[in-house]
Amino acid sequence: MTAPFFAPLMVEARKLNRSLAALLAVAAPSLIALFTFFNMLRGEEPAPWDMWMISACGIWAFFMLPMSVTALTALVAHMEHGPRSWDHLRALPLPRWRLYAAKAVCVLAVAAMMSAAVLAMTWGAVALAAAIKPQLQPVGVFDLAKYAGLMGRMFAAAVLMIAIQLWVALRWASFVPALAVGIGGTFFSVVATSAKQGVFFPWQMPVNMLATDAWRAQTALVLGLGLGLAAMVAALIHLSRREVL
Amino acid sequence: MTAAIETRDLTRRFKRQLAVDAVSMTVPDKAVYGFLGRNGAGKTTTLKMLLGLIRPSGGSALVGGVDVARDRIGAARKVGALLEAHGFYGNLSARENLDLTRALLGLPKGEIDRVLEVVEMTDHARRRVSDYSLGMRQRLGLARAMLGAPPVLILDEPTNGLDPDGIADMRRFLKALPERTGATVLLSSHLLGEIEQTATHVGILSHGKLVLEGELSRLKADLAPEIALQTDDAVRATALARARGFDVAATDDGLTARLKPGEDARTASASLNRALVEADIAVFAIGARSRSLEGIYREVSPPAPVANVKARPEFA
Repeated sequence: MTAPFFAPLMVEARKLNRSLAALLAVAAPSLIALFTFFNMLRGEEPAPWDMWMISACGIWAFFMLPMSVTALTALVAHMEHGPRSWDHLRALPLPRWRLYAAKAVCVLAVAAMMSAAVLAMTWGAVALAAAIKPQLQPVGVFDLAKYAGLMGRMFAAAVLMIAIQLWVALRWASFVPALAVGIGGTFFSVVATSAKQGVFFPWQMPVNMLATDAWRAQTALVLGLGLGLAAMVAALIHLSRREVL
Repeated sequence: MTAAIETRDLTRRFKRQLAVDAVSMTVPDKAVYGFLGRNGAGKTTTLKMLLGLIRPSGGSALVGGVDVARDRIGAARKVGALLEAHGFYGNLSARENLDLTRALLGLPKGEIDRVLEVVEMTDHARRRVSDYSLGMRQRLGLARAMLGAPPVLILDEPTNGLDPDGIADMRRFLKALPERTGATVLLSSHLLGEIEQTATHVGILSHGKLVLEGELSRLKADLAPEIALQTDDAVRATALARARGFDVAATDDGLTARLKPGEDARTASASLNRALVEADIAVFAIGARSRSLEGIYREVSPPAPVANVKARPEFA
């Protein structure tokens, strides 16, 4: 009996599908869209599409993305920690790294979908607000490629943060260490958003995609993605080799 | 007879704590091997080493001839396991839970119906596992262990937490398991009665060491029987029996006089009875009986000194 290579990924996706991950994936982008909707309705003058869309990306990057990743990684890890299913999974005749890699791929995929949902829902919120109050119809062009590119870079820069959160969540059966790291990281991300050192801080790397200094954006992107992939590989090696007592 | 499971000097140390101490055990093919020991004796640690979940500090473990340390995946292909922590997803049905493991093992869909039938749970398979009783979860765990019909089943305390009906149900099921599946069963327990009624072979672990192993019927036959007796004067009866060379112990229902190996139980009983009567001691009951597993266990597995009891963690 040999399982297909992608079997762990399919199994993980099925487990996730039956969890509250879908609720989380919808809730976080919805909150940004809801805020944008009511914020727009408060206005009297039309604003450019860029303002609404890039603001939404900013809120996502510096606060909602770190919080969502914290919640998502804790949820994914607790699908196994909760029912204590690691022994069962780790005793199966398949390489353990594939079990952890499947979780990593699922987390990255959900985070990517949430990023896309932020753009889609914000567009919807702005369109709905403009339909209710036509004088607020945004001006300028809706440059989807620009917004998608920005969101894509934010996602890539977030890989290091995602790797760290997932590593901590899978390593400790208690959700407290993962939440402490996530809340702490988000806290510094919020209170020190414009700090120059933030470019080296994993939780601030996504928001640095909005930096006007090119070196900051590029450094955060390279570090976030490069170190993120390296950290993810290190996490898979460590988790699959360690003993779960 | 080839060994389904074999360990050689298997050892595991947790810092300064020696949890498993040079255990060399042999589980014959198609046997139901009762792995006995007190809580904390090292049973779960040994089973985890057999499953490749933890690494031995020394020695080796072979499952179906495959060295677990060298080829964990190859060894794991030969084993199905029911562990203390079931690891079921409560929000999913039994069938969905089984299907996740089936997919990970790359087995055909029909496997689920087969194992559900073996554990007689086909009618309950669409219920959520969170609604299951502990007994049903244990049976579902067995079903999952049997996915892919592995030649070896490792069951860690399968009767733990079950009520008397559940224990009887599980005992009946375990007895029939080798016949129904053709698998070798390694069954850990601290319940002597369960093992005595279920196992063909036993291994007794005490303080991390394997202190006794063998075919249960042969172990019982090899050990000299004992004479159970009830009299109106236990003190004088004890002194008299000891004077005649018997090793005497008080039990709940009287006295037990242990025979010397090779001594004929019937002749010894008659001789002791005659001596008691001649000494004017009333004998209410006397007779030879074969040794129970409990007797064997008590003899080879003394309790830990009080100071050491709390020092041994159970890594479940």
